[in-house]
Amino acid sequence: MKKIIIANRNNATYEVKGNKPLLLELRSLGVDLPYGCQYGGCITCAAKLIKGKVDQKSQVALNNRQINDGYVILCVARAKTDCTFDIGVESHDKLYRNPFIDPLAPHELKADIATIRELKDD
Amino acid sequence: MEGLCCGPGYASPSEAIRAPSEQLLYTIAIYTGTGIQKPDYLATIDVDPKSESYSKVIHRLEMPGIGDELHHMGWNACSSCHGDKSMSRRYLLVPGVRSNNIYVVDTATNPKAPRIHKIIQGTEIKTKTNLSGPHTVHCLGSEIIISFLGDAKGEAPGGYLHLNKDFEILGRWENSMGDIPFSYDFWYQPRHNVMVSSEWAAPNTFMPGFDLEEVGHLKYGRRLHIWDFEKKKPIQTMYLGEDGLIPLEVKFLHNPNSCHGFCGAALSANVIHFWKTKNGSWEWEKIIDIDNEPQPDWPIPIPGVMSALLVSMDDKYLYINNWLHGDMRQYDITDPHNPVLTGQVWMGGLLGKAPIVNGVKIAGGPQMYQLSLDGKRMYVTTSLFSTWDNQFYPEIRTNGGVMLMINCDVKNGGMKINEDFVVNFGNEPNGPSRCHESRYPGGDCTSDIWL
Repeated sequence: MKKIIIANRNNATYEVKGNKPLLLELRSLGVDLPYGCQYGGCITCAAKLIKGKVDQKSQVALNNRQINDGYVILCVARAKTDCTFDIGVESHDKLYRNPFIDPLAPHELKADIATIRELKDD
Repeated sequence: MEGLCCGPGYASPSEAIRAPSEQLLYTIAIYTGTGIQKPDYLATIDVDPKSESYSKVIHRLEMPGIGDELHHMGWNACSSCHGDKSMSRRYLLVPGVRSNNIYVVDTATNPKAPRIHKIIQGTEIKTKTNLSGPHTVHCLGSEIIISFLGDAKGEAPGGYLHLNKDFEILGRWENSMGDIPFSYDFWYQPRHNVMVSSEWAAPNTFMPGFDLEEVGHLKYGRRLHIWDFEKKKPIQTMYLGEDGLIPLEVKFLHNPNSCHGFCGAALSANVIHFWKTKNGSWEWEKIIDIDNEPQPDWPIPIPGVMSALLVSMDDKYLYINNWLHGDMRQYDITDPHNPVLTGQVWMGGLLGKAPIVNGVKIAGGPQMYQLSLDGKRMYVTTSLFSTWDNQFYPEIRTNGGVMLMINCDVKNGGMKINEDFVVNFGNEPNGPSRCHESRYPGGDCTSDIWL
């Protein structure tokens, strides 16, 4: 079992098996979470992972900047360890950005089109 | 409210123009992506100026669950089966872009309080047709086709769902997608055996939000497609290039004999005019080009984002919006090659021209609109799509969407915002929601096609 703490819900704590998407596991425990497509494509269920590890390799919605900022797609992500999250739109402070004012660098795009960042020689 | 003959709709566009004025309209309102854990709903709005509840939401039909993102919708029947007395314009088909569910809403039993008649489950559509991301609904005689932007996994190009009049899945409508890379809107003109379709992007590209860089990576559309409507396959591609980045709404003139149509290219903020030549091939030209506008907070000038487009029932006026600029425009298209700007109003937008309208602070800009059959009343809403709203107008989370009405001068041209009409979706009982597309029970300027 994995311990899931929702920091922005007064550190409410749940136990999940980790063999199903977190959205399903948490909803079955009564947690009211937003969602949309339920296949990892639409970002509506995004939450911010503060601590822990998830497997979300089947998500296709996040760009690399959003992943680096800790966002996970709960409808496909499975808990690999105990995890702490912020959930809901309060956690979306870095999820949405004006794409003209704050463009992405080539390595920050979605995985299928991102360039691999070259390591600088010191 | 419908025409004098036996079936739904009207014998001709000119008969439709003479129909009684709309008393009610239906508009979708969303909570998906807003942070409010409530279902999206279909709002009934009283638009009878003699009514005590004029300019108010008088009924809310909640969907059964959360997360649909209701967006566009369409009728089960229109003037395309005007001669069929067994049909009536009774059911509104309301798809959820994110959930893939299609709600069939009965608006006839009690027009003020529509009810859900049937639900076509998104999972069933995926299993039977490998489609997701529903958008445009058109009836087709007594049958229905709906464009979908993706396959079951959200990858382009999607295709077309074919339903019978009892809303049962017949399968895919098209015989071939040819080499079409993306889907979005479509309109057909049967007397020319033609359908035209446009391109947004794969659901997996546009649903999470807009990354500008993905335009350069060819993840967004820039073509229009001409179809052989009877053979159900594409026969010609019009590559619009930089003039046609993200070509969204596509409309033919209402005159069923006309071979002229228009498309709004959202990111280029251009209107593309297309028509059939004497040898039967199709040509296009750019007829309206909205300049990007400087804004002090932006490193580059702001594009208009022309996300919708509409033709008046008399085919005299073309209406466009610039969602990021904040203006609605009316053009006289008597000569479709040479449109003349005849009206313009401002509401919201990022240029600061009209931050408050009729006492309501506008979050968003003019985005979806519906025009009365007589062309005199245009109802405009301000939300585009939850994730895109959140990027460009984050204050819409707390302010909600707004519906305004524009009085349109059909004789001399001109537009003026009606000072007596405003529906503030920021004041909804469950919290601020966002309104999008609207339809009128008796027909409107985006519902009817004549065979």
